[in-house]
Amino acid sequence: MTYDPGPDVIAVQRGPEPGGAGGAYRIFGETLRGLKTTLARVAEGPVTIEYPEEKTPVYPRFRGRHKLQRFEDTGLEKCVGCSLCAAACPADCIRVVAAENTPEHQVSAGERYASVYEINMTRCIFCGYCEVACPFDAITMGHDFELSDYTRSDLIFTKEMLLAEPLERTPLRREGE
Amino acid sequence: MSRPEEKFVSFDIDGREVRAPEGAMLVDGAKYGDVEIPVFCYEPKLGPPVGACRMCLVEIEGIPKLQTACSTPVKDGMVVITKSDRVQSAQNAVVEFLLVNHPLDCPVCDAGGECPLQDVAYGWGPGRSRFIEPKRHFKKPLELSPTVAIDRERCILCYRCVRYSQEIAEDHQLVLLERADHSFVGTHDGAPYVGPFSGNIIDLCPVGALTSVPYRFRARPWDVEEAGTVCTLCPSQCNVTLTVRDDNKVLRAFNRQNDEVDDGWLCDKGRFGYQTIHAADRVVHPMVRDGGTLRAVPWERALSEAVAGLRKAGAGTAALVGGEATNEEGFLLQRLLREVLGSSHVDSRPSGRLEGEHARVLARPDLSARVSDIDYADVVLVLDAEPVDEAAILDLRVRKAARRNGARVVVATSRPSSLDANAEAVVRFAPGASEAALAALGAALTGGAGLDDLARRAGAPAETVRAAASLLGAAESIVVLWGERLSHGARGPQGVAALLALMRSLDITGKEGSGLIEIPSSTNARGLREVGCLPNLGPGLVPTAGEGLAAADMPGAVGEDISALVLLQADPLRTHPDRQAWAAALDRATFVVAFTDFLGEGVLEQADVVFPAPSYAEKEGTITHPDGRLQRLRQSIGLVGEVRPQWGVLAELAAALEDKPVELLSSPMATEQMVAAVPFYAGVTLAEIGGRGVRWQDRDAASSLAAAELPDGALESPPELGDGLRLGTVLSLWTGKVTEHAPVLSFLAPQQRAELSADDARRLDLSPGDVVEVGFDGTRVRAVAALRDAVPPGSVFLVEGTRTDNATALTNGAPRTVEITRVPDAVAKGTSLPLAADAGAADASTSVAGSAEAPPA
Ligand code: SF4
Ligand code: SF4
Ligand code: SF4
Ligand code: FES
Repeated sequence: MTYDPGPDVIAVQRGPEPGGAGGAYRIFGETLRGLKTTLARVAEGPVTIEYPEEKTPVYPRFRGRHKLQRFEDTGLEKCVGCSLCAAACPADCIRVVAAENTPEHQVSAGERYASVYEINMTRCIFCGYCEVACPFDAITMGHDFELSDYTRSDLIFTKEMLLAEPLERTPLRREGE
Repeated sequence: MSRPEEKFVSFDIDGREVRAPEGAMLVDGAKYGDVEIPVFCYEPKLGPPVGACRMCLVEIEGIPKLQTACSTPVKDGMVVITKSDRVQSAQNAVVEFLLVNHPLDCPVCDAGGECPLQDVAYGWGPGRSRFIEPKRHFKKPLELSPTVAIDRERCILCYRCVRYSQEIAEDHQLVLLERADHSFVGTHDGAPYVGPFSGNIIDLCPVGALTSVPYRFRARPWDVEEAGTVCTLCPSQCNVTLTVRDDNKVLRAFNRQNDEVDDGWLCDKGRFGYQTIHAADRVVHPMVRDGGTLRAVPWERALSEAVAGLRKAGAGTAALVGGEATNEEGFLLQRLLREVLGSSHVDSRPSGRLEGEHARVLARPDLSARVSDIDYADVVLVLDAEPVDEAAILDLRVRKAARRNGARVVVATSRPSSLDANAEAVVRFAPGASEAALAALGAALTGGAGLDDLARRAGAPAETVRAAASLLGAAESIVVLWGERLSHGARGPQGVAALLALMRSLDITGKEGSGLIEIPSSTNARGLREVGCLPNLGPGLVPTAGEGLAAADMPGAVGEDISALVLLQADPLRTHPDRQAWAAALDRATFVVAFTDFLGEGVLEQADVVFPAPSYAEKEGTITHPDGRLQRLRQSIGLVGEVRPQWGVLAELAAALEDKPVELLSSPMATEQMVAAVPFYAGVTLAEIGGRGVRWQDRDAASSLAAAELPDGALESPPELGDGLRLGTVLSLWTGKVTEHAPVLSFLAPQQRAELSADDARRLDLSPGDVVEVGFDGTRVRAVAALRDAVPPGSVFLVEGTRTDNATALTNGAPRTVEITRVPDAVAKGTSLPLAADAGAADASTSVAGSAEAPPA
């Protein structure tokens, strides 16, 4: 018995097949047009950037490795451990455990501070939501994108790593560049 | 008062026709039409609404001004508008006004993320503030008590906490001080707000003004998961939600409202006791005694030693089951003893014996009340129990019944009760004379023959008995909360007989909404009995072929009939009468296996094998509420350390003893076997129990409990009261592991105190605070004297279960008269007070004697 597809059949309408001349143009004409662009660039010489010896400069708003900020005058941490960045993070890669400041152990300016602050860089998608969520501008994103490492666990950035001055190894694009 | 019937009315809200129960407030009625009206101060649990915050304003057709929806009941044909411009501008204005003095420090506030003020400000607020003036300031953060922190700047003056303290807990401590924008919440005398239920204000506060000290800054709602289970720290078995972080740490416990159990409240023991789960000194490895001390060993070694020991003891094994064990664990243990080892010596009650006939009568569905019956009872009789110490949440229930529904409370106890102030009649009988008191009540109800003699034997004035009886006799519905204590001791069976006779003369089975609710001495006491943890009754309260020894008789038999002891989350040195006998018995026993989460002194010194017991947050299984409600424990966190499920360990022991492979593979399988063994649980499934539990009396299978008749024989005449100072022992909410291992509760750890009347104190030349020794013959317990006006002369009360100087050193189940002597100041100073005394001594009385520097004068 043959299969009867019934009224579900959709007939495809095709345009006319190109003839001999049209076919030849399709094969050679279009290829030559592409080659024209390629060959025109040859005169300009190579444009390969020899990474890592050479690096592409990034825009000022480039979102790279995070940094936790401190107040310049008091040296206290700006982060109060509110976990809002963790809530905003779509990749769920921030872990904050808060604790209470005491007069002997004043870490941040408010009542609470982050006793644990970790970002799992293997999961971070560099969307910058944490930066937007932070009510104290405590977490900001820098320009460093060279974050690869040999083990995954080394890519869980701790609070100490995030507070430390990051290596400035990425050139910033100059005005108008 | 009988249960009100629900009638429905229909009204119009935002152009929608909605049917809602008559008399419901508009806020609740609107929910039937999926309309949300924002509230702050409205909380039905707190009783009638007060309309303090004005957040709930709505327009009602026919009334010119906006009305508060929280205090306007729905009426038939009412037309309500919640979304007009007028309402919206009023809502905006109220939010703006509430935020005038609010610091908006959400990032550092613990309520952030679960804060009604945040939600309402987002949903109904104007979105921007025009306020540029300075806000009011208070010193912060402050401790309102060691468990509750207060931040007065955040308070929106909704009165919830104050109403709670005044009308629910009735401790009258919290008040709103000062006026207008100077108002702030505090205790009237500035002292910390400490009470058994103080933590509930944390849940009530709609902002972050009242926060939990141990949860402070621990996590945000999105960092945690919530796990529903049941608190097993006392027989109230409140439903709780545990806040769990990283799947392995309980950070907080709060209520999971179940009106049939807890009415949405928790006591502080249940709220903060979770800290014991992660206590540093918890037992999390199996241990065996090796060269005199306990050493952590691998499971295989501990199991094989336990098997060897039990195999040797065989029918000479006895077991005590503590109240934290689940039905499944109790069932498996009694089966291990009865079917594998051939011993019937298993008991879950600390003292006395429960006659089989009595147990079956007490289990009769028509004789047992449900917790919510208290709400609507005409008379609530509190019998030989102190709810606040023994099943805390029932205390609030009784208060609610009296305050809101006009229930008349009758208290019949030997120790002055915290419910006395709410009671219309109080019968104060001598400690240990509950049998006589019950008989006297019965006599007063049935014409008064012999009343005077019985009242004298009870040590209670006959007129108080008569007053109580006349209230009871006139009541249309009666709920009796009776303490298991009255069934303890050598005359326990007579006590129960007197109770049942009283119920018979009250015709309680014929009264709607009436019945008994037992306040047992341990959490799952009812369930454990029903699954067979009694020496004379097997699963389903069915008499067993051979009768074993009850707990009280075990110590005497150790060394003869009994050689090995299994302690399933039980510590006889803490909770059982006759401490010395138990201490000696543990010493004499050749083999002791203990399942425990903390090393009590008996276990520390005598156990040969220790298995770590899971906490309630790690357990899976069922427990039975004193009113017959089967409730489900659900595992909320991963097992801590090397802890294994207790049902699994028991099954493994049984299989190894029989040289069979383990057949019990999961906790639901254990539940199934347990249910199959108890006829009146037949067919209960975990799904049926669910999150709210199910009372077995309400199921068809209940009819399989062979109907036992209320006995109608004449009562034995109760014994005469002796002369001298009679000792009564009481339980305290705060004894045990919660105050010893939960840091935030440690300030509540009870010191042994001897409560006595002013008369006796004068006679003995004692003043409050004196260090005294209470005892008889050579046995003494050191305590601090405390005078209490309401204590009748001739009685002295000590606390059971304290860490040192435990009153059980002086009790053996029979009434006891004691002497009190003052410890001379020089001696008292030289020794540490009971609380600070060194733990570890096997016997409280010797520890006191041994630590005295100078001989007592
Ligand atoms: S970085 Fe900012 S958002 Fe994240 S926890 Fe700290 S203060 Fe909060
Ligand atoms: S402390 Fe909280 S509950 Fe008490 S009045 Fe203030 S806002 Fe209301
Ligand atoms: S009353 Fe009992 S069951 Fe309820 S929370 Fe307190 S300890 Fe737990
Ligand atoms: S909720 Fe109605 S006035 Fe507060």
